[in-house]
Amino acid sequence: MKITNNISLTGYNGVLTETVFGTEPMEIVVPENSEFTAHILHISGPITLRVILNGEYAKCDIKIAYLSNKNNHNNIKVEVIHQYKNTASSQVIKGILTDTSKMVFDGIIRIPFDSQKCDGHQNHRAILLSDTASVQATPELEIYADDVKCSHGSAVGALDENHLFYLLSRGIPMDEAKKILLKSYVMEILPETWEQYVDEWMDENV
Amino acid sequence: MAFLEIKNLCAKVGEKQILKDFSLTINEGEIHAIMGPNGSGKSTLSNVIAGHPAYEVTAGSITFKGQDLLAMRADERANSGVFLAFQYPTELPGVGTALFLKTAINAKRKFLGLPDLDAVQFMKRLKTRATALGVTDEMLKRPVNVGFSGGEKKKMETFQMAFLEPDFCILDEMDSGLDIDALRVVANGVNVMHEPHRAFLLITHYQRLLDYIVPDFVHIMVDGKIVQSGDKTLALQLEEKGYENYK
Ligand SMILES: Nc1ncnc2c1ncn2[C@@H]1O[C@H](COP(=O)(O)OP(=O)(O)O)[C@@H](O)[C@H]1O
Ligand SMILES: [Mg+2]
Repeated sequence: MKITNNISLTGYNGVLTETVFGTEPMEIVVPENSEFTAHILHISGPITLRVILNGEYAKCDIKIAYLSNKNNHNNIKVEVIHQYKNTASSQVIKGILTDTSKMVFDGIIRIPFDSQKCDGHQNHRAILLSDTASVQATPELEIYADDVKCSHGSAVGALDENHLFYLLSRGIPMDEAKKILLKSYVMEILPETWEQYVDEWMDENV
Repeated sequence: MAFLEIKNLCAKVGEKQILKDFSLTINEGEIHAIMGPNGSGKSTLSNVIAGHPAYEVTAGSITFKGQDLLAMRADERANSGVFLAFQYPTELPGVGTALFLKTAINAKRKFLGLPDLDAVQFMKRLKTRATALGVTDEMLKRPVNVGFSGGEKKKMETFQMAFLEPDFCILDEMDSGLDIDALRVVANGVNVMHEPHRAFLLITHYQRLLDYIVPDFVHIMVDGKIVQSGDKTLALQLEEKGYENYK
């Protein structure tokens, strides 16, 4: 089995038969009182996702895990536009990079003047398994409304030494310990049924 | 041959020298207690024995069951029988406690050349130890140490110890954060494991723990080394007089 990108989208009343990992941005328009949920497991290619919260109480919840290996250079761009007031967005992006792979991540939250009482949150984390892998993360907040709640954060680093040591101190060998930690880290945001894809990637790359 | 022999051990973290010519010999079946003020290097000692990579041994040796412990990886030390119940157990979000223990016990069995425990044997062993220590099914379902109070974490460390059946158990301030009832349960967990082939190193601040687990030897550690050793009465004297005389 060759693992490829996986995507699961719900709560969107549209037809999503196109391949969504092309160079064209995929645009999702979320009407009022609706919620758009995306789970994405990214292995290769670019992702450009634009979500427009196009009515009051529209929401989106985007979870992306990316696993990069070899000399893959990829980019992921997520843009959320809070077109109406009282809209809410959450983006959680978690990556694992090894070898000489590189990820460029752009996360954009736009909240125009009239979109008061919006919630927009974005969190990006990446774990580097080699010194030669790299991540360039550029969060961009374009916020013109003053009564909103927004946050963003990005953290890139190695696996936590104390987490690893705890597993080693219980007799679990290094490779297995790494796999357990990395797997729990990405599975936290993916559907359970995708575990096999993550396992397969780990077996080949960790 | 001693069970565990630490000779002239020096260790540092970063540029800071913490263990300074530390020596201690422990025989099978013995319970040793180390007491000492905050910052004297007690947790450093436990981490060095367990093989934490942040601590660098600059001199000295540790032999465990005749083997050079310092030459072994942390996982090999654990599988050879060393167990550290941490002062501050690490939380592992997303890593289920039961799966974690299954991986650990099977790693140890593989190391010893034994077959994996099957699901039934594993559950039986897990349930028996859990019941003895008052660990509920709900606690076993949580990720490792996540969502536990300080006292519950200590209980879970003792439970892991009972489950893995190590030969040399280091308990680093396991009494902190425990109320009297929990302390009794945890101490009982230790006492039932007190067998002739096993030894314990209790690290504690307070003599209270030693009312429940009676040590054969008490050592006072100040500034990276043992400054006095005695029997359990030493702990009582210390409780009265404090560490002032040793500074
Ligand atoms: N990982 C570490 N990084 C930096 N300093 C440390 C670390 N671990 C311990 N220390 C320092 O080493 C000294 C001894 O600490 P520790 O071994 O925790 O003492 P104790 O357990 O006796 O209270 C303290 O000054 C502490 O700040
Ligand atoms: Mg300590």
